[in-house]
Amino acid sequence: MAIESPVAATEAGHVRLNFAKPNQEQIVLLITIVLLVVFGATLNGFATVSNLLNLLRSISILGILGLGMGLIVISRGIDLSEVAIMAGSWAIGLIEVQQGMPPWAAVLLALAVALVIGAINGLMVAFVEAPALFVTLAAGFVIYGLAFWFAPAWVVYAPKDEPVLLFLGAGRILGIPVPILVFAVAAIAMQLFLSRTSIGRFIYSQGDNPEAARLTGIPLRPLIVLEYVLVALLAWLAGLVWIGTTGSIQMAITQGTMIFDVVLVVVIGGISLVGGRGSVYSVVVGCVLIGTLLNAFTIMDVNSEVQNIIKGVVLLAAIVLDNWLHPRDEETARQGD
Amino acid sequence: MNDAASLVAEPTAAKTREPVLRIAAGSKIYGGVHAIENVNFDLYPGEVHALVGENGAGKSTLCKAIAGAIQLTSGDYVLDGERVNFEQPRDALRAGICMVYQETSLVPTMTAAQNIELGNEKLLTRFRTLNIQAQQLLQSLNFHVDPATPVGLLGTAKKQMVEIARAIYNKARIIIFDEPTASLTPEEIVHFFHLVRDLRARGVAIIYISHALEESLLIADRITVLRDGRLVITAPAKTLTRDALVQHMVGREVAQAVYGGRRETHHRREKVLTVENVTMGMAVKNMSFSVYAGEVVGIAGLIGSGRTEIAKIVFGALKRNLVNGGTIRLRGKPIRYRVPRQAIDDGIAYITEDRKANGFFETMIVDDNVYIGTLATKKGFSFLLSRARRSKLANYWVDRLKINALQRKARIIELSGGNQQKVVLAKTLAQEPSIIFFDEPTRGVDVGTIPHIHAEIRRLADEGKAVVVISSYLPEILAVSDRILVARTGRIVAEFDAADATQDKILYAAVH
Repeated sequence: MAIESPVAATEAGHVRLNFAKPNQEQIVLLITIVLLVVFGATLNGFATVSNLLNLLRSISILGILGLGMGLIVISRGIDLSEVAIMAGSWAIGLIEVQQGMPPWAAVLLALAVALVIGAINGLMVAFVEAPALFVTLAAGFVIYGLAFWFAPAWVVYAPKDEPVLLFLGAGRILGIPVPILVFAVAAIAMQLFLSRTSIGRFIYSQGDNPEAARLTGIPLRPLIVLEYVLVALLAWLAGLVWIGTTGSIQMAITQGTMIFDVVLVVVIGGISLVGGRGSVYSVVVGCVLIGTLLNAFTIMDVNSEVQNIIKGVVLLAAIVLDNWLHPRDEETARQGD
Repeated sequence: MNDAASLVAEPTAAKTREPVLRIAAGSKIYGGVHAIENVNFDLYPGEVHALVGENGAGKSTLCKAIAGAIQLTSGDYVLDGERVNFEQPRDALRAGICMVYQETSLVPTMTAAQNIELGNEKLLTRFRTLNIQAQQLLQSLNFHVDPATPVGLLGTAKKQMVEIARAIYNKARIIIFDEPTASLTPEEIVHFFHLVRDLRARGVAIIYISHALEESLLIADRITVLRDGRLVITAPAKTLTRDALVQHMVGREVAQAVYGGRRETHHRREKVLTVENVTMGMAVKNMSFSVYAGEVVGIAGLIGSGRTEIAKIVFGALKRNLVNGGTIRLRGKPIRYRVPRQAIDDGIAYITEDRKANGFFETMIVDDNVYIGTLATKKGFSFLLSRARRSKLANYWVDRLKINALQRKARIIELSGGNQQKVVLAKTLAQEPSIIFFDEPTRGVDVGTIPHIHAEIRRLADEGKAVVVISSYLPEILAVSDRILVARTGRIVAEFDAADATQDKILYAAVH
């Protein structure tokens, strides 16, 4: 089977990618390119360098969160508390800064809070064997409540005189907004982790077939805890970019639809909810598609209700596509016998 | 021609009558393999027709086809002289064909009356009417079951009564019983036989599947023997004996030709594994045996005899009872694993009987499947993946097991059953175990691949490893084993040296 694109080639060696049907990344990439060309030709001010950089900058936080969600969905789990971890850990960190804690210590405090929550999520899923969906849904509420308790404000502002703290969100290197670079570095690191290390391979095998992974001797429980800790780590990183971009952390996002946007970019790009399929490439492609749509909507001044409808339809389409590419019925299960 | 064949084996009662059901030249193919092939089967009203055969002989495939759960690949299905084609079980049920399953298909939280009516509910149901109707039906069948009791509270025998009542309620003319007596006490069996005779007297045609040959001989009018998907013989029960049945089931000459003889030399060495009085719930009861380095031990037994369970207990995939669970010793040291990983680190391997469910990683290619086996061990773990190591390892196993090398870059799900099985073997053997449990090593494997797998089993023993082969297929057990254990209802009930084991002896021990 031919390998269609250079990106696929770099990962084909280590991941797997041998689809009889076109794979979802390729379909979505194609759609994205078509949209980029169409919008570029029809919309004023779309195909400018500053707009395209703006497009990328706007998706980088979503992308970083998507990397974590992608990892967990590949392992056949899900983490609905990711946005809450981001907001909660930084709300606690920033409130301490307001009360006089040095910023570097607040950064570490936020990191510690995030990792502890991730570890608790992982322990609940791995050892209590509670369904990830409910564990993380509940964790989201608990974090929201706890964060409000420590930091009773809808919006917690970051100190304005700490350029180092805000650099990841607000800075530019060679004219490129730093959030884009943070997303790029995180994506490359995640790609290397998933495709070049045995732990990454174990995560794929767990998502592919957990019982086979157990019988092969893969230490599933420690692996699950590690996965949720990594998601929390990425949530913390996304939060660091977020406060640089907006100068504050808004607890309202934990109650909004942001977490579903994160799931959306992951699923659109071809990380199947069945588990074991897709890669970092899927997250990047999914983000670019959503970013392109949102950016074009902004230029076209489409109202947010219509945007939500379109996002919902795109998510449904992605799930239908996923089902078509990875059918799960008795007849296919029997092939090869 | 078909008519002539059935005339020869006609039961006296049905000489003048037309068969209610006839399967002519029926075949069912799964992925290129015949589950049943060219089977001619007929059934007369008021007849009890027993189906016997080893596991995998095609009994349940035939019955599923009759009950509409699957469709025949080719052949005719004739009901009351008319060709029919049932798309789903519901269609067959409507035509009066009802299957009573081994594991009862009742809803435990509903009452007996509700279960009887299940699937035929009217829009509004009055419980009182429902209970009275059910009571009348149960009484007419002479069943002492309270219609208002939730089925979950009933015993096995009573559950079966409810199932049968449901079949009658659905106006069943043909009832298929799959192992109906497996979980009954001797007294209940006697009662059950009365019931079957009752049904027969009402003109119901009955297909009776059972492993217990004596029962079939006792209750059936005619018996059909299936072997490897083919119909061997249909004959009146009166003309058959237990020995004749066993011989038909085993088909000695055929098996001998395909599998060849047993190997001659075997050097028994150190005793590496001892299982003493191991107990797990109702599945494994007081099982004891030992395994020596350099030998192949075959474990024969029917499904449900505890043979798979004991392998999984040793491997840590299942847990034996905490209290009075018995002892397992590895080279004299007692062991009790929480997870398979610990067993693997101690050099114990288990190769699954169901590779699709838990044997391989379907999204990965052959090389990755083999490589991940060794990565999961303490010795073979390395944080970074190495392409060179992966290729070297995969090349070695592809070569050693003769895996079709053209398909190296294909995902494993696209391979043939035989190649998939070899990859599962390679994944496990790459972990360098010293004790290996093979569970049904050639299930769903094409005939050409079977000798490769058997050769590998022997080679492992010759390398000094202890090998345990669990198989339902007696020719396989005889072909590879140095010593044969027979499991029945959770115990080892017989042990044979390969030199004096025969299929008859093993089968006899396994069924009684």
